[in-house]
Amino acid sequence: MNKTEYLKRLSDELGHMPYGDVKDIIQSIEEHFDEGLGEGRSEEEIAASLGDPKELANEFKDGAKFNQIMKKRKRMADSFKGPDGRGRIFVIVFNAFVGIECWLVLLAAVIAAFMFLAADLGIIGVLVASMIMGKITEFLVPCIFLVLTLVCVAVFLVALVILGVKYYAKGLKSYIRWNKHVWNYGLGED
Amino acid sequence: MNSQIKKGILDLCVLALLEKGDSYGYDLAGSLARKVEVADGTVYPILRKLASEGIVSTYLQESQNGPPRKYYHLTDAGRKKLNAEREEWIKFCGEVNGIISEETGGKADE
Repeated sequence: MNKTEYLKRLSDELGHMPYGDVKDIIQSIEEHFDEGLGEGRSEEEIAASLGDPKELANEFKDGAKFNQIMKKRKRMADSFKGPDGRGRIFVIVFNAFVGIECWLVLLAAVIAAFMFLAADLGIIGVLVASMIMGKITEFLVPCIFLVLTLVCVAVFLVALVILGVKYYAKGLKSYIRWNKHVWNYGLGED
Repeated sequence: MNSQIKKGILDLCVLALLEKGDSYGYDLAGSLARKVEVADGTVYPILRKLASEGIVSTYLQESQNGPPRKYYHLTDAGRKKLNAEREEWIKFCGEVNGIISEETGGKADE
């Protein structure tokens, strides 16, 4: 196996690791090859002494797994010790001055869109009823166009309200989750 | 030797090699593989793990020929870990040796 083949096998075996980690690992093994070549060894010789790429990849993966477990343990230990309070203060202050206000403004926007929709449907209803009952005689054609325009507006508003409600709920859910995390663990990495 | 036993103790070996002074991957791989029967590649996952734990730190240094090398340095936390684990290991080895040599001694008498 030459250098290129070895590195390819290794990166294939690393598989699902984050791209940055794989790049880092490949770089360090590539450096190993370059050092060896500088000493006059052949690529095949270096590859053989490095060991099976699959085994090496597994060792890297084990190391990453071990780290995740340790991180989790540390976080658990920290939370048992009790948060230092900064996370909680942040959640309270942030919500009092920014968070809740933002969500109220967004809620008002969604409600406003809903009210526009109701008014729009009301106007359509009145116009159509008037036309059917024959009360509008002079401006019948412009009236029909007005109704068509209002129907388009209604369709647009329906879409807007549905999407608005959906993403509002979704966003609020993850916002609450984030708040809980900060409350329990503080503003750290992860 | 059993690879599971070896795996657990290689971290300590790498720390001991770094105690003598900062070094780079290729050099460490060679030093380790010369003394213990392991593949040259073995050292890299260990270094990576130790670095992410803050047991070793890394820095780049120019080499005379070729691109800069990534050097590994034993941190204070690493030094502490090394001293604690070295003592433990030596004690454990002594205990194991005690059992093993008694055992073989007993058999020799039979």
